[in-house]
Amino acid sequence: MSSCGNPAVESDALMTRKPKYDKSRTCVRCKENTGNLVIRHAVYCKDCFFPLITHRFRRSLEPFVNPKPDGPRRTALKPTGDLLIGYSGGLGSAVLLDLVARCYVTPDKSLVTAEGGRDHPRKDRVWKKVRVCYVEVCDAFPGMPDRTEEIRMAVNKYQDLEFIPLRIQDSFDPKFWKSTGVSPDQLLQYSLDLGTEDLLIASTSTSSEPTAALRAYLAALPTPSALPTILKTLTRLLLLYTAYSTKSSHLVLGTSLTSLAVSLITSITQGGGFHVKEETQEEWRPTYSTGTNDFQPSELPIRIIRPLRDIGMKECGAWAWWMDVKVVGREKWVWPGAKSGIGSLTKDFIVGLEKDYPSTVSTIVRTCGKLAPKGEVDGRCILCERPIQEGIQEWHSRISIRSRADLTGKSESAPRSISRAQPSLTSLLCYTCHTTLTSRSSRSAPPLYPGLSVEKKVPLPVWIDARLSENSLHAGHNEVITGHFLTEGEKRDALKYYLLDD
Amino acid sequence: MAHRLCVLCETSKAIVKRPKTGQQICKECFFNVFETEVHNTISQASLFKPGDRVAIGASGGKDSTVLAYVMKTLNDRYNYGLNLFLLSIDEGITGYRDDSLETVKRNQEQYDMPLKILSYDELYGWTMDSIVQQIGKKNNCTFCGVFRRQALDRGAAMLNVDHIVTGHNADDIAETVLMNIMRGDIARLGRCTMICTQGEDTIKRSKPFKYAYEKEIVMYAYFKKLDYFSTECIYSPEAYRGHARAFLKDLEAARPSAIIDIIHSGEAFEIKEDIKATQKVQQTCKRCGYMSSNELCKACTLLEGLERGMANAGITDRARKKMDAEGPTPQNIRTIPFFQTSTRPGSPQPNNVENPQVTS
Ligand SMILES: [Zn+2]
Ligand SMILES: [Zn+2]
Ligand SMILES: [Zn+2]
Ligand SMILES: [Zn+2]
Repeated sequence: MSSCGNPAVESDALMTRKPKYDKSRTCVRCKENTGNLVIRHAVYCKDCFFPLITHRFRRSLEPFVNPKPDGPRRTALKPTGDLLIGYSGGLGSAVLLDLVARCYVTPDKSLVTAEGGRDHPRKDRVWKKVRVCYVEVCDAFPGMPDRTEEIRMAVNKYQDLEFIPLRIQDSFDPKFWKSTGVSPDQLLQYSLDLGTEDLLIASTSTSSEPTAALRAYLAALPTPSALPTILKTLTRLLLLYTAYSTKSSHLVLGTSLTSLAVSLITSITQGGGFHVKEETQEEWRPTYSTGTNDFQPSELPIRIIRPLRDIGMKECGAWAWWMDVKVVGREKWVWPGAKSGIGSLTKDFIVGLEKDYPSTVSTIVRTCGKLAPKGEVDGRCILCERPIQEGIQEWHSRISIRSRADLTGKSESAPRSISRAQPSLTSLLCYTCHTTLTSRSSRSAPPLYPGLSVEKKVPLPVWIDARLSENSLHAGHNEVITGHFLTEGEKRDALKYYLLDD
Repeated sequence: MAHRLCVLCETSKAIVKRPKTGQQICKECFFNVFETEVHNTISQASLFKPGDRVAIGASGGKDSTVLAYVMKTLNDRYNYGLNLFLLSIDEGITGYRDDSLETVKRNQEQYDMPLKILSYDELYGWTMDSIVQQIGKKNNCTFCGVFRRQALDRGAAMLNVDHIVTGHNADDIAETVLMNIMRGDIARLGRCTMICTQGEDTIKRSKPFKYAYEKEIVMYAYFKKLDYFSTECIYSPEAYRGHARAFLKDLEAARPSAIIDIIHSGEAFEIKEDIKATQKVQQTCKRCGYMSSNELCKACTLLEGLERGMANAGITDRARKKMDAEGPTPQNIRTIPFFQTSTRPGSPQPNNVENPQVTS
């Protein structure tokens, strides 16, 4: 087998490495043709490769299409809404789009009839409408080119797809929020103080334009590692709310086996052990669904599925090359301190390990698939909208003492010495988001946006504003923020243990 | 700008930037938070009850030296009511263990704790030097690890203790979490973040330093002027673990909380129930009586391999089958004496680990 030589394919997917196959060069499937590709030690010919990948793709998706899992007999696929594809422009999402188009939009007879009667292309489409959503992040990075038009062209190569271009700063745009149809449609605005670990919030009347709001928020993050984590969360939530507003029952993402392993380990290194399940597959619905949208998500959550989770980067590369799939490519996220950030370190580590120990990536995914969250859920994170594990703040104050109150052990029940009336995001965040917003590095990074002065008090994403706006209507978690907003003097007093002399 | 004051007591001058939190604090507050966190770890898990006999696995290295000091300090301060012992394993590594055992002997005098030294030679008839002579440096850490674990339990049984505490720190545990995920070792992954483990018929083992950063242990030893023997094992560690350790150090540099964040992750998930059901049940080794997931425990398998000149038998399944095919175990090889936990007359049964009794 020679190198596939496709320049558009990401470098770690190129098949340039010496073939490692068991015994024979003959395809393990048809046992006739000479193999063209080695997948985890097994040799496949080109003819057998396409059905194999199609099978893996459908196996990871179709059991989750119907609201209730199939019984012993396979029933027709009847989703309750449309399909949204999260498209990044990278290899995985390009292959995903191609597979979705071939299997569900304009059926490719060579693929979908291969396995006999039940797989005949249907007269009715599985999903009535398939949309492709792209979130452009270029405004978060100075000097990054805007790829929206290139992406639009790549998507338009397929028929009958609707393209929805978004921008990352839409997450700070009340207009975007209004378009989702989730209540309340009028947002109050809040600011978050990222200058201290207490994550105090206050209502504010100053509103800034979305790009400025995004940049103020990103610039104030405590570490370079926090940036990609936050961008990933913002992108995910933009996709989810878009799935909701388009009445989609499914959101599919082009996460390959390789990228899934990297994102699992990245999440674990940031304390996300409670979300291992969600990293692979999750169900989501907006917190409040009393808006103008007549879709009833309170009954059926949106399923987020990664249908390429059994398919490695290398196979994606081969599919793209042989099927002539246009891969626009993703811009590298470059920012000060990027190289030494947790995300890039993890990617380098896993990809490097995979070279010496070729089953690392599949082992990681398989192992994580055997795990379940432990302990009780205590609400939903206001930032990432994933479950919060009970007792995380107590855990933290016990094993990582940060205040005199924790040290003297006088605060068994209320670990933080802030009064409960003090409005703070802390108890509304999951472990990972709390760490992302508070954990500092011992080395200081150069500013993200030279020339922009870093404000400590920053605007919040619209879904946080929305939940805070609703606070008086809902009890439970939000009790923390129903207290009166304190004056500067009261805040100082409540925080006297935290403030350093300046 | 004036001297920065300690953020915790607000009276003394801050002299350290705490590795775990990055906070600037004074020396006294550093001792205080370090010790209090260990105390919180112990009391939250209700590790001990008054009257417990507890052996500290002492190697003479920084972790166990600081552990011995802190255990003694906390035992006095919070009236745990424990009888503390030092238990040392002599692996038989010339020039490494000889010197470190001197440190342990000094600790024995300084802390006034009884010391028991048990050697691989005594228990297995092999020293690490002689093992390495036969097998080379590859895989020797497997031998050493398996042999040490069982030796500690046996030494503890000789001391008649209820509990062994070891100096495993947060860095070790975070690294193990990552390693077990990457190697797919689901059984160990479920166990490795537990503060206390107990196999059938063996003594409880706990890790009071499970949240203590390696850097802070070093810092604590430095400020307390504790002397410890500082060297890596001369038989180099396995490459794979080396990668994981280097990765962890990079993560810690990027964000110091990474170590406890990983441990938190390890504690936030568990093995799915249906997977648990398929796990091998623990049994006891038919030859030596030690807990085992197979008929023969790992130590007995490794030892038999050594004795029969087929050292890989305990490392890979294929080599194991090859050894079995060579015929039955010869009668004349050395084996490990049969293991029995001694129960002191009148002593209560060890606590159930899942539901330990509440400490004072
Ligand atoms: Zn074939
Ligand atoms: Zn969160
Ligand atoms: Zn102090
Ligand atoms: Zn045995």
